Amino acid sequence: MNSSEPAIVAENLAKSYRRAQAVVDVSLRVEAGEAVGVVGVNGAGKTTTVEMIAGLRVPDHGRIRVLGLDPRRDRAQLRQVLGVQLQQAYLHHALRVTELVDLYRSFYPDPRSTDELLDMVELTDQRRTRFEKLSGGQQQRLSIALAIAGRPRVVILDELTTGLDPKARRRMWGTVERLSSEGVTVLLVSHFMEEVERLCDRVAMLDAGRVVALDTPAALRTLARTATLDDAFVALTGRQLEEDAA
Amino acid sequence: MNTLVEARRPGLRSLLTLIGCEAKMVVRDTAGLVVPLCLPLLIMLTSASSASRTVVDSGRTALELYVLPLVFTMVIAIVGIINMPSFLAYYRRSGILRRLGVTPASPAMVLAAQAIVSILQSLLGIAAALIVAILAFNAGAPANLGTAVGVVALAMAAMYSTGMIVAAVAPTPNSAVAIGLVAFFVLGALGGMFGGRDSLPEPLAEIGGWLPFGAAVEALSSAWAGAAVSAANLIGLGATVVVGAVVASLLFRWE
Repeated sequence: MNSSEPAIVAENLAKSYRRAQAVVDVSLRVEAGEAVGVVGVNGAGKTTTVEMIAGLRVPDHGRIRVLGLDPRRDRAQLRQVLGVQLQQAYLHHALRVTELVDLYRSFYPDPRSTDELLDMVELTDQRRTRFEKLSGGQQQRLSIALAIAGRPRVVILDELTTGLDPKARRRMWGTVERLSSEGVTVLLVSHFMEEVERLCDRVAMLDAGRVVALDTPAALRTLARTATLDDAFVALTGRQLEEDAA
Repeated sequence: MNTLVEARRPGLRSLLTLIGCEAKMVVRDTAGLVVPLCLPLLIMLTSASSASRTVVDSGRTALELYVLPLVFTMVIAIVGIINMPSFLAYYRRSGILRRLGVTPASPAMVLAAQAIVSILQSLLGIAAALIVAILAFNAGAPANLGTAVGVVALAMAAMYSTGMIVAAVAPTPNSAVAIGLVAFFVLGALGGMFGGRDSLPEPLAEIGGWLPFGAAVEALSSAWAGAAVSAANLIGLGATVVVGAVVASLLFRWE
């Protein structure tokens, strides 16, 4: 990929499930090294959008390139450089934390060390614990460790901190800030404005399967003539975000 | 266009790690390990004492010609038709296959690891039954050892192909176990698991000889006796492999 090319390009994406139109028209460009947040209420099309970008779903319409690669056609290449944390942690329930980390590390040519990964998500003390015995927050943190095991150049984090307590949430923010400082491109799906405002260079507000606004947090506040990003979201979409998350 | 990223699949080290993880999953799933290993062994123990004293043909006992082929086939069938599909259905239902789908690991790698662990599990069950039969009941090795090994390999392929059909059509892990159990008992009943195919009505006995359970039992019995394996048995097992592979490839869903 040319260094001046965007890391992620999504153009006019559309996706429907039977009669429901999950994504109507989403276009998004994420520059290399940039962190972009995707916010919206439940059913806004956030997860469907990022799953299409990750190659898990085929769009009905539109074009996607991640680091210049087509997520479906260039699957083998893209998996080397793309890390994905899915909304729910789907892992072998009876395996221990280190066993899972070592398994996922083995998929990549130059993975981060097990100790580094466990340290990054603060699961060192749980290294011998089975996945099924971890708390929801710990399972989420392990899922993030696995997403970044292969030193991805682009990482997609879907609902990074949903279900985490405030302390754990701030710890995860530190992990994302570290990824950003390493030049990793981050696409972050979130329900929390405080989170995207702190971690993201730009924020895409989705509503009813469309991008309503995409800009820096400051520009979005200016656009909506509001003091906070929460209020800007309400002004631009007519919906409450945090209530929906709860 | 990106030319800097190399399309690289995980190698042998990764496959071995995955096999190790699959094996740990099986070992930690106590029921999944105990049933295929202990149930056939228990069935053998209940009949081995009298069967080992009953000479049937050419100095070979009923234990060697009937019981051990049946026990071997049961081990292979339980692992292939019940255990393996339930694991795959659980992986699909719980989203593990979907999670692996966003890594460089290929679906074929997951299937390969599952198949290898299932084969190891079957070999363990067969070895346990054989060792007990030899040490406790003076059973002898098959007259045609190479043929017996070949039949075991073909029977494994046939049972796993049948299991792949179960995994393909079962929507949930519970339904995979239910469908697998029904398939196991139907094939087993027609294959002589409940008292020999001779006691079945003629048409059913004939069909049972072509189906994988009955074909495997009969072919192993022939190998033990030193007789030629019937072409019908080999065709039945081979056809099951082909049909299972084709049907599973058409119907199997990763999500």
